[in-house]
Amino acid sequence: MKIAFPHMGNACIPLRGLVEYLGAEAVVPERPHRGTLDRGVRHAPEFVCLPFKITLGDCMNALDNGAEVLAMVCGMWACRFGYYGQVQHMILKDLGYHFDSLRIGREDPRVIWEKFSRYLGKSVLLKAPGALAMLRAKAVAVEEMESIARKVRPREARKGDADALLERYLEELDAASTLRRVRELREESREALRSVPLRGEEDIVRVRIVGELYVLLEPSLNFDLVRRLGTHLGVEAQPVLSTYRWLLSPLWLDPFLHLHSSRFRRLTRSYLPYILGGEEHMTIGGTLDAKRDGYDGVIHAYPLTCMPENICRTILPHICNGGDIPLLDLCYDEHTSPVGTATRLEAFVDMPRSRKGNGDAILSRHTSLSGQPCCL
Amino acid sequence: MGSSRRGRAADRQGLLVGIMKNGENGKEAALMETGERAQAPLRVERGMSVGVPRALMFYKYYPFLKTFLEGCGYEVLASPPTNIKILGSGTDVCVDDICVAVKVLFGHVRYLEDKADVVLIPRLVSVEKRDYDTFTCPKLIAAPDMIRYTFSHLPASLEFTVDIGKAPWWWSCLRLGMSLGVPLRKMAGAYLAAMRELARYQALLRRGFLPPEALGRLEGKGPAFPPNLVRGDVTVAVVGHPYLIGDPLINKRLLHWLDACGARVLSSTMLSEEEILREERRLPPLSWSYEKELLAAASHFTRRRDVDGVIYLTSFGCGPDSMITEMVRHELDHGRDGALLEMVLDEHSAESGVRTRVEAFVDMLRYHKSKACVRGGT
Repeated sequence: MKIAFPHMGNACIPLRGLVEYLGAEAVVPERPHRGTLDRGVRHAPEFVCLPFKITLGDCMNALDNGAEVLAMVCGMWACRFGYYGQVQHMILKDLGYHFDSLRIGREDPRVIWEKFSRYLGKSVLLKAPGALAMLRAKAVAVEEMESIARKVRPREARKGDADALLERYLEELDAASTLRRVRELREESREALRSVPLRGEEDIVRVRIVGELYVLLEPSLNFDLVRRLGTHLGVEAQPVLSTYRWLLSPLWLDPFLHLHSSRFRRLTRSYLPYILGGEEHMTIGGTLDAKRDGYDGVIHAYPLTCMPENICRTILPHICNGGDIPLLDLCYDEHTSPVGTATRLEAFVDMPRSRKGNGDAILSRHTSLSGQPCCL
Repeated sequence: MGSSRRGRAADRQGLLVGIMKNGENGKEAALMETGERAQAPLRVERGMSVGVPRALMFYKYYPFLKTFLEGCGYEVLASPPTNIKILGSGTDVCVDDICVAVKVLFGHVRYLEDKADVVLIPRLVSVEKRDYDTFTCPKLIAAPDMIRYTFSHLPASLEFTVDIGKAPWWWSCLRLGMSLGVPLRKMAGAYLAAMRELARYQALLRRGFLPPEALGRLEGKGPAFPPNLVRGDVTVAVVGHPYLIGDPLINKRLLHWLDACGARVLSSTMLSEEEILREERRLPPLSWSYEKELLAAASHFTRRRDVDGVIYLTSFGCGPDSMITEMVRHELDHGRDGALLEMVLDEHSAESGVRTRVEAFVDMLRYHKSKACVRGGT
């Protein structure tokens, strides 16, 4: 059974761990890039959101690499994401690809069980707890490495040290096949990343990134937003969402995630009393909390025509004006240029930096121009 | 470092207070935060005017709302049919990559803000009860929130929340009446009259009137027979949201141009619930109620022998439609012999462009039909 799933950041590492523990083969195509997107754009509906297009291209790459089963999470929400699997698999079958589609969450669990047991035998049930443990261990390790790297990047003495280490350890983690090895790697990487030589402690600007899940987590789509901010601009960027959260919260493997997101739902209720089906509670809750958590700015990244994030976009300026925190909206589609994004990021980063560095003098100069706190 | 940490702690305290306020009483705290737009609990006196923006689901529920509110003793002021000025003023204040229908809603609210005492903004969360969760588009669910955070000087907005998945239709009306402080007895009378009016409106739509003409007919204006059904050697079915079909400025008078080409025009608003339900059984389940109707309507029209072509109207950036058009195309590809024209509308569409495409489409259908006749004859 050769099973494939679309890329999303480093989610392929824990997912590959899960699938291989069950005894199946995971087909992980090359990381998405411009060509993948172009391939998806050619066959996707015109104004569907960008993640649809790039994951469609990714699925085509996986099928070319010999995948037999395509897995996708599906659901019945107000957001389009719930229908990705259905429509993408329809398009791919119309294009003449032959594969078995595994729509997790939409199909009857019995049907999914039948598919698995047909390919892998009934013993797959016995392996399931171990496979979930593997998924969790790898997801925790990825999350920990990434979050340390995000902190180290802007502070490192020689640019690129943290990235090189991170890349090496992620590769090793991907190859690890036992829980013990994963645990060892986690400890090793923690030590290694923490011992990266740092510049003298400066007052580093911290920025929170909120927005649509896929744009936040897939570096090929957001032009490596987090790394660019960290390495090139010396800003600590922390996305409010993570692959760890996305993988573990539907499986109930970490109850704290639920506490966290229910808190955000509670905060959001006064702005949006009804659930819209996307990550709108994380966007609004994350922005409301940004100042409290010690951030100096908020970046809102979303794909063009994303429904929940567009609604958030009408509300965020209001929150940021009230909370006196700068906000940058970054809208991504297949025509967005990396240079334009980089320029806007540079210009944006100067603002929290000047507010922070020179204290009240600059702040008052900024605010007196419009009489309002600055907001991009 | 130390001083910044202290500053941070102070900020944290300030923000915590704000958050606690939010937690205590969500909606009021949010309104308090909005400063000048802080509203005391709504006091609407008898005879005050309630503005209803002519946008989004206006074409589905306006006769009901009008009769209900008039029965409760209010004057109802509907904004005029969309014109360039309304569209422009909506586009000015709205987020740029949202669909044109929402921009039009913003324009109508801006028109009403200094004319009506209260503006009524429906919030349609779900419009049918099924064994799975159903929704409308997220923009319909969050329309009042978007309005609240965009307009700083809205007189007062009145929410009409419809969530049939959770509470029946009459409950939504009861809550609307209660928020206005209407006595129950009066409300019941108004409700029954409004339901009758809605049934009349729906019957007119079934008979083939397009939404604007049906609204005119309710007031006794306009022709007694739907003009779009009168003549035509080819029949074209237009499938799209009622706010696209009903608004000639958004669809650039598409239905008029079809009529002018000599086509008989059907639309998805004419189908009865039974016809839609019959079709739905064959289709994959969708949680977007309105889009499910559209998919069923498109599928219905492509199967009908008397329909020569289908025009699928959609607005640029419409989230659900981007998926549905793909499904419609798939439906047509598999064993159906039909013509489909996808028309994407936005605030920049030009009337001449729409006219050209419509004429070409009708000509193609005519040509196709004549060839089919010849082939059939030989």
